[in-house]
Amino acid sequence: MKTIKKAKIAELLDKIAAEQTIFAPVAVEGVTRFARWGQHKGDLYLEGNSLLPPKDLLFPQTEKMYSYHVKGMTAAVDEVATTAEPQIIFGIRPCDVKSLEMLDDVFLTKGYVDEFYKSRRDNTLLVALGCRKPEPTCFCTSWGIDPAQAPGADVNAFDLGEELGFEARTEAGQKFLDAYTQFFSEASSSAPKAEECTLKVDPEGITEKLQKMFEYSLWDELYHKCLGCGICTYVCPTCHCFDIQSENRGDQGFKFRCWDSCMFSEYTRMAGGHNPRPSKKERLRNRFLHKLQYFPERYNKFACVGCGRCLSKCPVNMDITRLIDRVKEVKLDE
Amino acid sequence: MKEVTQKMREIAKELLEKNEVEYVVGWEKGTFWYQSPPCFVRRAEEVERLVWDEFCINNLAKYLLDFKHLEGKIALFVKGCDSRGIIRLLQDNQIRRDRVVLVGIPCKGMKDVTEAAKLEEEKPEKLPLAAKCQECRYPNPLVYDYLIGEEVVATAGQEDRFSDVAELEAMSPDERYEYWVGHYDRCIRCFACRNVCPACNCRECCFDLAEPRWLGKRVVRSENQFFAITRAMHVAGRCTECGECERVCPMNIPIMKLNKKIIKDINELFGPYDAGVDLEDKPPLGKYNPDDPDQFM
Repeated sequence: MKTIKKAKIAELLDKIAAEQTIFAPVAVEGVTRFARWGQHKGDLYLEGNSLLPPKDLLFPQTEKMYSYHVKGMTAAVDEVATTAEPQIIFGIRPCDVKSLEMLDDVFLTKGYVDEFYKSRRDNTLLVALGCRKPEPTCFCTSWGIDPAQAPGADVNAFDLGEELGFEARTEAGQKFLDAYTQFFSEASSSAPKAEECTLKVDPEGITEKLQKMFEYSLWDELYHKCLGCGICTYVCPTCHCFDIQSENRGDQGFKFRCWDSCMFSEYTRMAGGHNPRPSKKERLRNRFLHKLQYFPERYNKFACVGCGRCLSKCPVNMDITRLIDRVKEVKLDE
Repeated sequence: MKEVTQKMREIAKELLEKNEVEYVVGWEKGTFWYQSPPCFVRRAEEVERLVWDEFCINNLAKYLLDFKHLEGKIALFVKGCDSRGIIRLLQDNQIRRDRVVLVGIPCKGMKDVTEAAKLEEEKPEKLPLAAKCQECRYPNPLVYDYLIGEEVVATAGQEDRFSDVAELEAMSPDERYEYWVGHYDRCIRCFACRNVCPACNCRECCFDLAEPRWLGKRVVRSENQFFAITRAMHVAGRCTECGECERVCPMNIPIMKLNKKIIKDINELFGPYDAGVDLEDKPPLGKYNPDDPDQFM
């Protein structure tokens, strides 16, 4: 394993940033998020998972798709290039690496390839950092994720106390480590194991159960406290709904897409004003069913990785693990 | 606190058993020891869920808007700040006083949840007061039908109430601009600040309108500025300083500083005014007064 003293990490990142585009987790004004190293403010934050996942580096909150202009009686589309620049995401946690599998399913499979996402994804190198001690809100192990290991990353880093250890998982990852070999020492350390998450939930059979519970009274009890804000969806690494809008000025304009949230009243509102999800009840139900029923039905996996962000940020403690427990307690009369 | 919890449950039980109310809205224990989120109790046998402790921080007033069309009555527990939210909603004719049963609880201030999450042990006494409770001037409910617990003496002084505003005012316009765009560039537009705010009670919010789309959906500086300024001006004279907007903001934006700047300006222009304190005293921007210091008229 290649190791580097933690005190030297910033120097390594400086060196990489001088040559390539690299994002790392930083703490700015009490918010931890991925920022472009070299243009960032704040300090490197490697103590826990970031408040915002690095989702926006592959699927930005606001993304221009193409622009157009009108001239006389003709209109022309000025295509926006979909070729992304190469980028490195440093310090992404195993849960967030896992979440990219879900985003890949949505944007790259089932007969349609989203070129914007694909271009970013193909040009992104992932240097993951395994966790030693999950936070109290973490429950990734319940989804079968090993908090220390990120199988989908190019490089897996490990917290060895005073040092970080690095192991390449792909050829690109090996090339990355080789390019900065002067920063690393060779050590015989093996990958440390992570502690088990203290928060646990058993999702076994939840999809089948929920398939029979669309009209169940549980939803009536749950939704009242929901504020209907978008925090849970915006801090979620797997939420991926977006809206497409345009901005026009004079004879020109552009199309863009932006994150949307199923918690909002405008989401799924039809032309003419009809909304099939008129209240917080239907919206909340949709969010949980999407994660636990619809996504598994379509892609054979749950759309939750147990990062715990919604749990720690929801102002009213809407807790997906408790929801699962409650659904499991329900006795359906059949 | 145990006695207050006990009393809460007794009152809730009685109201539900006698069918006086359809719902009792209070707080219950959440996932972690430092969480007491809102809860809605419908049956007398469920009143044991209700608790009163250092973490009942959520302002429950806003929930009344969800029950505008309820045929029966609804009971709500209110702290001082929550009761100011109720007065605001009453002043705006959003709710009817005879449709709500208010159970007041004097409050010594709630504890800081972010700090609690860092503690390895369950020690609420080690925690500082939540930011929003540090300057509380109305710890006792101002409107209620029942009152549980002893009245609390407000300890926060009036004198440094606007000290952070003074810091803002000391900045040059360019510095102030940098300060606010620096903070609002972080805004992810989750609308939690609006959704939790008892002063935000429009039937349809201009930020949700698709036609015309006042607020563009791009999360960029210009739209974030429009959102921030419009919301701040819209709650001007009606902000009850409950601090919920800033508490729920996941991006740590000092929203209350903006609200307090406007409160200070209103106080200077129209005389001292605290929103949601006196039901009969209308907000300065909501009443006509021929002596208003408006120069252009």
